[in-house]
Amino acid sequence: MHIMEGFLPWQWCIVWWLVALPFLIMGILELRAMMKKDREYLPLLGVCGAFIFILSALKLPSVTGSCSHPTGTGLSTMCFGVFITSIIGAIVLLFQALVLAHGGLSVLGANMVSMAIGGPIAGYAIYRLLKNTSVNIYITVFIVAAVADIVTYIITSLELALAFPAQTGGIIASFTAFFVIFAITQIPLAIVEGCVLALVFKYVIELKPEMIIRLKVFSEEQIAKARMNSDSLPGTEMKS
Amino acid sequence: MIKNRKLELITLVAVIGFILVFLSVSAGGTHEFAGSDNVGSQKIAELTGQPVDSFAPLIPQWQPPSGEIEACLFALQAAFGGVILGLVFGYWLGQRKSTSTP
Repeated sequence: MHIMEGFLPWQWCIVWWLVALPFLIMGILELRAMMKKDREYLPLLGVCGAFIFILSALKLPSVTGSCSHPTGTGLSTMCFGVFITSIIGAIVLLFQALVLAHGGLSVLGANMVSMAIGGPIAGYAIYRLLKNTSVNIYITVFIVAAVADIVTYIITSLELALAFPAQTGGIIASFTAFFVIFAITQIPLAIVEGCVLALVFKYVIELKPEMIIRLKVFSEEQIAKARMNSDSLPGTEMKS
Repeated sequence: MIKNRKLELITLVAVIGFILVFLSVSAGGTHEFAGSDNVGSQKIAELTGQPVDSFAPLIPQWQPPSGEIEACLFALQAAFGGVILGLVFGYWLGQRKSTSTP
């Protein structure tokens, strides 16, 4: 979903940087507050971040005959919210811009808005919507991860369409063209990503249910129900 | 102990399905499997009527000299994530084991 360096007019680079900055600042503040208050969540933050690192390094072939990569931001969004996720996403994108020439410093703002901010916001909205319903929590995780992934690519298409409206048909025609390239390619990847993140979440609540409860990601009853249906490893019974 | 591996099964099916789709797509017709980033860049060139090469980086940037080096760096990125993942899950597992058997 990277917009390549030099492919976005400088005016748009500035616009997207300005959109991204408040999120980054909020993210840093939240992260600092969390570090001061409670360091026990750091391992979970590590897991969420690790998945963004791994998944965004995997360029997978897809139905349209091109390759793309998943984003992995769904898990972190649910556990820590949009702002902290935007920081992790920004670190990954910075790494890819500096050493891999995927994306670049001027387009980093635009890429952050799509992958580290826009996708997570959409995922978070879905999560809030499904959180207090009777929907199985693994299905919630699946949908959140898949939506965060797809929306990332929809926003990339939108950013490019705004900067490069087609001569006939304008922004909408151009959006459709980019949408076909980015988002259609992404649908199968989003499904696999959703499954993988749901599986990871299962292991997290098997080992550390109390952490998920204390972060108020899901309620105690929901976690207990999910754990009842899954196998429990020896020594992983929930402490009361 | 009842083992419930439904989610693992679903994930396995999704991954196998993904591979089958890939095999069927790559068997029929010629596909480059280029990165969608590059396909997107070509589309920009098409829309603006300027060749892809005319888009120079606004901020000078280092390019990996070859595909091999790029692959190495991507592997490094994934390995970093993998190490953290293994470390944390291992730590949690060890913690559980030691608190349950005092």
